[in-house]
Amino acid sequence: MIDILSAVLQIAGAFFYFAGTLGLLRFPDVYSRLHALAKADNLGLGCVLIGLALQAETLAGSLKLLLIWPLALAASAGVSYAIACRADSLGVAPWRKEKH
Amino acid sequence: MIPSLLLRFLLFSVLWWVLAEGRIDGWWLGAVAVVTATCVSVILMPPAVHRLRWGQIPSFVLFFLRNSVRGGFQVAMMALRGRAALQPGVLELQLNLPAGGPRVLMTNVIGLMPGTLSVELAEDRLRVHVLDERLPIEAEAGELEARISALFGVGR
Repeated sequence: MIDILSAVLQIAGAFFYFAGTLGLLRFPDVYSRLHALAKADNLGLGCVLIGLALQAETLAGSLKLLLIWPLALAASAGVSYAIACRADSLGVAPWRKEKH
Repeated sequence: MIPSLLLRFLLFSVLWWVLAEGRIDGWWLGAVAVVTATCVSVILMPPAVHRLRWGQIPSFVLFFLRNSVRGGFQVAMMALRGRAALQPGVLELQLNLPAGGPRVLMTNVIGLMPGTLSVELAEDRLRVHVLDERLPIEAEAGELEARISALFGVGR
């Protein structure tokens, strides 16, 4: 039962990583790409980590896996802001949909 | 000052213990890391007036988890649909939060919420990039702001 749950979570995680990478390739500008990385990849990481933590052999081991998530989230939030802020101060204009 | 130093020292110690998976044979390296981390955190983020209300943390964490799952799912669907799904824009939000911790937390957390990404925080104005202008961004940002106010126990 735990193995199945763990596998489902890891597959879901792989899906979100896939979607995040797809967004990185398909979205038109730096800001939109940051959205894809900051949100989809972090959700993917969370799913993979919970899936792995379910299979960890020791409590400390699974706590360690779960702890990676908030640390990576904090880093990712800070880094996205730093990149977006720098792009903005360099005058990179956000992509806009052409009006029809 | 002293209690908050001690608290940070304890939190970093627990962090080390977990990262070392409970092993204590490298304790001296851990001690150096924990003391350094405590000193650096005091320099970068001095103990401030705005303290977290510990009792509020669980409901904030639940709110955060729910919205970051929603945000990840939404952006994943947009990535699958490609550019046609986007209608990006830049909004300027007026923050009612006090300077320091609360505003910084807002700036960081809003980047993980559905559809928004912080671009620039200047005083009490936060510029965010949104993936789709048609979404109710301002209402959601308002709710996040109310949650952060409650977390720090500050009036709006």
